[in-house]
Amino acid sequence: MLDELALKQVMASVLNIDAATIGENTSIDTIESWTSLRHMNLILALEDEFRVSIPDDEAANITDYPLIRLVLKHLLEG
Amino acid sequence: MTQIVPNASMAVLTDPAASLAQVMQAVIDVEKTVAFTRQTRIGISSNATIELLGIFLRRHAILSGVRAEITNGNYDDPIGDVQLFDAAQVEHIVLVPFFDNLLPSFEAQLGGLAPAAVASKEAEFRLRYRLTFERAKAFRTVFLCLFHRFGASAKPGADDAVAVAVARFNDALREDAADFGNIRLLDMEDIIRSVGRAAAFDPRFYFRAKAPYSAVFLDELARRVVQAARGFGKHFYKAIALDCDNTLWGGVIGEDLLNGIKLAPHDYPGNIFWRMQHELADLERNGILLCLCSKNNAADVDDALRNHRDMVLKDENIVLKKVNWNDKPQNLREIAQELSIGLDSIIFLDDSDFECAEVRSQLPMVRTFQVPKVLSEFPRVMLEIKELCLAGGISNESRLKTGQYRARAEAESLKAEFASHEDYLKSLELKVTLTRNSRTSIQRISELTQKSNQFNLNTRRYSEGEIARAMEDPETAVYSLEVSDRFGDAGLTGVAVIRYAGGAAHVEAFLMSCRVIGRGVENAIWGHIAARAALDGCARLEAEYRPTAKNAQVADFYDRLGLTLIEDLDGTRRYGIALDQFAPPHTPWIEVFYAG
Repeated sequence: MLDELALKQVMASVLNIDAATIGENTSIDTIESWTSLRHMNLILALEDEFRVSIPDDEAANITDYPLIRLVLKHLLEG
Repeated sequence: MTQIVPNASMAVLTDPAASLAQVMQAVIDVEKTVAFTRQTRIGISSNATIELLGIFLRRHAILSGVRAEITNGNYDDPIGDVQLFDAAQVEHIVLVPFFDNLLPSFEAQLGGLAPAAVASKEAEFRLRYRLTFERAKAFRTVFLCLFHRFGASAKPGADDAVAVAVARFNDALREDAADFGNIRLLDMEDIIRSVGRAAAFDPRFYFRAKAPYSAVFLDELARRVVQAARGFGKHFYKAIALDCDNTLWGGVIGEDLLNGIKLAPHDYPGNIFWRMQHELADLERNGILLCLCSKNNAADVDDALRNHRDMVLKDENIVLKKVNWNDKPQNLREIAQELSIGLDSIIFLDDSDFECAEVRSQLPMVRTFQVPKVLSEFPRVMLEIKELCLAGGISNESRLKTGQYRARAEAESLKAEFASHEDYLKSLELKVTLTRNSRTSIQRISELTQKSNQFNLNTRRYSEGEIARAMEDPETAVYSLEVSDRFGDAGLTGVAVIRYAGGAAHVEAFLMSCRVIGRGVENAIWGHIAARAALDGCARLEAEYRPTAKNAQVADFYDRLGLTLIEDLDGTRRYGIALDQFAPPHTPWIEVFYAG
């Protein structure tokens, strides 16, 4: 099971934003601090936190909250 | 740190298993809530993307009690970055040239490149980095990461084209860096060995975003940078106070007797203690002072030092012995006092839980290490001690220190035999050589401004670049003084930086090594400095004292020197006097030579 609160906390820590503001519309286009460099850190932090390995192609493309949630769910729940 | 540290966040920062997101959050939380008394600015420059290094530098800086602000350079622009860092008032630069990215996939190309093409890449690279070093001269430290290979060799054990080229480029880096005293080299291959090659890199982001390093690697790199910076100037360890029984040798000399203690190079566990003594002797050769701090009969320990056949450390390697039945904090205080160094410059090594706990609780500023119960771990602990002592690099003059300190200790014992203090001072045959803008001493002068805390009126730290610039500047003069007496040459032990402006000679900095205090040297030089200032058209001498946690002993120095107090603002005391009225205390027992 994916702990969505934990997911939001990781994103909040890496992007330096308030976890409560993260929702369906949160994406690389709406968050100023979510730069391509930060995105790399975000992927590393997610992998570290949830003990998963995000495939290369997906790592580059999961640039909004719903997509990240989807990919993580897939990895954790098979 | 002046505020209560948020414990949960600090616990995350010390936990090696903490996740990346937890570390990021903890760094932000601690920086937000803790009022740091010490801050530093670090610039990162690389031809690879290593943005994550900043988080880890902040992490390890916090663990040394320092708040670090990071400025990231632009991609592959070291010369431009130095300019950027200068504008951002950066103090330390971390320079990470990445070999495989000097040309696209350089390692893979190498086998097929003509030697002339590699040579021209090398020439271009050297030119850029030499210019970078030159322009970075005024920064306190440049941590230069040596090249390493990115891909493993397909023929392990044999040197392929990549290994040969990496070694050659590293030779070039070493050679060019050797001309700059502020450059510290960091061995990246060693980091790769310690974290493991497979864990060190993340090829996904290398090919997409030129970010080759894993978080684990960058965390370890940051730890080593902070360690090499000795907590950014906070720690300068000058002495190690050593217990004897089960620390310098196995067993208890008072019970096992001279031939019963374990110190034989070929037998376990004697061989571990023997090896550790060699490590300590090496530190002593590098200018670290070794002292004994042991509960024992002094005669037993002397017997061991002089007569045990396997003893590596001899009397002449030990600057001071506190072998008695007093408690260790008391002995450590006396060591600090007699060597004129701060307690926070002392490392204490002991095997006893009790002694270590007592020193830790009573003298938390002393860095205490315990000999591990599992003796095979002792070399690891010793390595940590060595790294702490040597990380910042040591200049030649430091290497002679034990001799100087011993000469001073002998002088202390002679003192009692003279009727008056002045008689004693006369017998010392003190000579002071005052030199103006001594360009050959820039490194030592800068080092002294970095290290001196107690006899330091302004506690201004100067990089070598700043000292060099001050010497070139006609409005500034850098005086340095060398002290010798009949016991020995104390070397360059004092610095005064004078700035001339508006008809006044302003003392921008004045500091002396505590080794030479108490003999009037601090007063003897001012006649010459004042006379030269008058020649240069000055009418006044101005100076100020800025209080720090360490320099209370010189709070009234300028009063004693004969200057007039003009104002006292929260302890910062400004002084001034007309040069024609200035009469520093008379020091007829000191012969002053003035060189330029």
